[in-house]
Amino acid sequence: MEINKLERYWLIAVGITLGAFVAATIVAVTVFGIRLPAPVERIDPQRLDQTIFAKPGVRKIADNRYEAVIVAKSWAFDAGPEAGTPAVLRFPRGSQVTFYVTSKDVMHGFQIEKHTLNLELVPGQVARASTTFNRPGTYHIICNHYCGAGHQVMYGVIIVE
Amino acid sequence: MASVTLPQTFEAPATPTTLRLARREQLMIGAHIIAALIALMFGIFMGPFQTFHRSPTFVQYFPTIPIFTFYYQAVTAHGVMNALFFTTFFIIGFSYFVTERTLQRPIKSAAMGWAAFVAMAVGLGMMLFVLLTMPQQSAVLYTFYPPTIAPAMFYIGLVLLALGSWLASANIFLTYRDWKREHPNERVPLAVFALIVNFIVWCVATIGVAIEIVFMLLPASLGILKVTDPQLARTLFWFFGHPLVYFWLLPAYVSWYTMLPRQAGGKLFSEPLARVAFIMFVVFSVPVGVHHQFSDPGISASSKGVQTLLTLIVSIPSFMTAFNVGAALENAARNRGAKTLFDWPFKQKWNDPVVAAQLSGMLLFIAGGFSGLINASAQLNATIHNTSWVPAHFHQTLGGAVTLTYIGILYWLLPAIRGRALFSKKMALAQVFTWLIGMTLFGLAMGEAGLQGVPRRALTSQSPYLSPAGAFWLDVTAVSGIILLISSILLYANIIGTLFFSRRPMPEGEVPIETVSGDRTSPLWFERWGIWLGLLGILLLIAYGPVIAEVLDFQLGWNILRYMPTSNAPMP
Ligand code: HEM
Ligand SMILES: [Cu+2]
Ligand SMILES: [Cu+2]
Repeated sequence: MEINKLERYWLIAVGITLGAFVAATIVAVTVFGIRLPAPVERIDPQRLDQTIFAKPGVRKIADNRYEAVIVAKSWAFDAGPEAGTPAVLRFPRGSQVTFYVTSKDVMHGFQIEKHTLNLELVPGQVARASTTFNRPGTYHIICNHYCGAGHQVMYGVIIVE
Repeated sequence: MASVTLPQTFEAPATPTTLRLARREQLMIGAHIIAALIALMFGIFMGPFQTFHRSPTFVQYFPTIPIFTFYYQAVTAHGVMNALFFTTFFIIGFSYFVTERTLQRPIKSAAMGWAAFVAMAVGLGMMLFVLLTMPQQSAVLYTFYPPTIAPAMFYIGLVLLALGSWLASANIFLTYRDWKREHPNERVPLAVFALIVNFIVWCVATIGVAIEIVFMLLPASLGILKVTDPQLARTLFWFFGHPLVYFWLLPAYVSWYTMLPRQAGGKLFSEPLARVAFIMFVVFSVPVGVHHQFSDPGISASSKGVQTLLTLIVSIPSFMTAFNVGAALENAARNRGAKTLFDWPFKQKWNDPVVAAQLSGMLLFIAGGFSGLINASAQLNATIHNTSWVPAHFHQTLGGAVTLTYIGILYWLLPAIRGRALFSKKMALAQVFTWLIGMTLFGLAMGEAGLQGVPRRALTSQSPYLSPAGAFWLDVTAVSGIILLISSILLYANIIGTLFFSRRPMPEGEVPIETVSGDRTSPLWFERWGIWLGLLGILLLIAYGPVIAEVLDFQLGWNILRYMPTSNAPMP
């Protein structure tokens, strides 16, 4: 079986392109520290009161570092009574926030506008991700996974001051 | 289609190389294609109205958009009918035709063929019934993730579709085996080689979703099971969901590799390398499903990394196809007098709807391929996951390359089935170009909307969080919806015209398939399918073993049955 010269060049070019993608992925992980969600814990969605999700809300854990515990349910993000509905979370500029989110009922999504943070909320699983809010502004938390008739109105707000 | 009176001339058995169909073929293949077109009709006409419903400006001026009342019912019907029923019926009908004409023998068992068809047709009927009569309960979308559970009939419809498709696969495998026994030292022609690949991929992939439906969802919908694990279900679904896209794509490749060169007036560049590309699909198209689950919490980053790598590898055979088919097209243009480096794309038969449809599909596929590479890059994925970027991508690939190629096939196959000329060639050309323009704009607008954070599968015209830029791109999407609505009407006008009103006899013609193998150099062991299945098995162990272990959380013991309400999607 022979391979035409031009086709061989083409395949080499393809190899280089794909190699670049692999390299970019490695750089993203090692240099920029971008992490994909990974298993944290499994919990029983009907007994959230026995977990950290019993009291959703934002906690300051260090200078400029916060932890936000949020429960998604049809069709709102519950970040505690202080945050209200739809939940409004406020962070000073430069805050690094780690989100712990889970779903109480069906599948939901958790995406923060203009930030690389995008989680599937699978009932029974705790999803965790961090991001840093560098630019002041208002960013929506959007449920981007179909969750029933009110899916399009399920959102929250993050205000960076 | 009982009211269609078949012309008498078609009683005569067909010779293998003329396009004229024997009565037997006409019924069997015709039944599958007509069922596919019925499914597509329900699916396709939902699409434009979805774009209207999602556009804030459109809804402002036309507050009551007819057709359907519940948006998510429409999205479910659109996805299920287009992506699952239309494609499966079409692929099986087309594969029978290709197999019979290439191997010059009827499929192994007509009875089995009809049993398969009846199972799938009953499945289609049940699915349409449940979608139309129970719009709220059945709005689980074509991915039907639990814990949202649809009425049992939804799943039974799917099971029947899968059963029928397995019977059809078996029929094609057995036909091939018979041929192989009579021609032990010959390479099977490329078209059938590719179809065997396709049905192998299909049979392996459907195992995942079959387990999910039969052991998790169907019992849950019947109230037998009170628990289900959504993370495991998603994993089983995407075990199937990604190879599914190759199941759609490979029949289009069959047309591009073994029919288009001749239709365009050229010659295939390299048959052996085409075989290499198809073999890569057997090995690499299944162990990549986790790239749909980059944002899932239950799977480790390293498992995701492994499947990212495999995903990049499975793009190689598509790049090979681009070169091979591109070279065939260049050859065709040179035969027609193209001289310079860049004039060959223009010197194609752009005035022949069969060719124009496939070329247009390829143009969309170039965009789709690159948007796909972006999706597959784990980190970039986090910006576009579940945004309308994703439908932008698969309307370039599935709605563009695949659908347009199927439509191109339809423009010669439907006249052959009906025994009459295509109703209107001009209408067909207009349909192809409006589709190309409409889908190009759709892809651009939905893609941009996605980058602005607009989610997919959402009635966004009601969303309080919509940004001005997001709203603008959704309005542009609605414009593309108008163009695509016109295109869909042109398509169905031509189909109905060809079936019922065309008076001109079908022009005499040859089957456009390359029925002999021009390949003298690829090794015969390419057809030792056990080798490829073995390699696939090893890769599956490497790629999916850890994933399943993580999802079931083996460290903490087997706790799959922890939880789950078997409820319908919550309703107001
Ligand atoms: C007339 C042309 C079409 C238009 C205007 C159109 C429009 C749309 C829109 C707007 C969506 C997104 C809905 C949402 O996310 O809320 C969608 C989803 C989808 N479309 Fe199309 N579409 C068309 C043709 C097709 C074709 C031909 C196919 C496949 C053969 C197809 C397959 C799908 C699938 C699988 C989905 C995903 C459904 C889901 O997310 O559950 N579409 N379409
Ligand atoms: Cu939600
Ligand atoms: Cu939602």
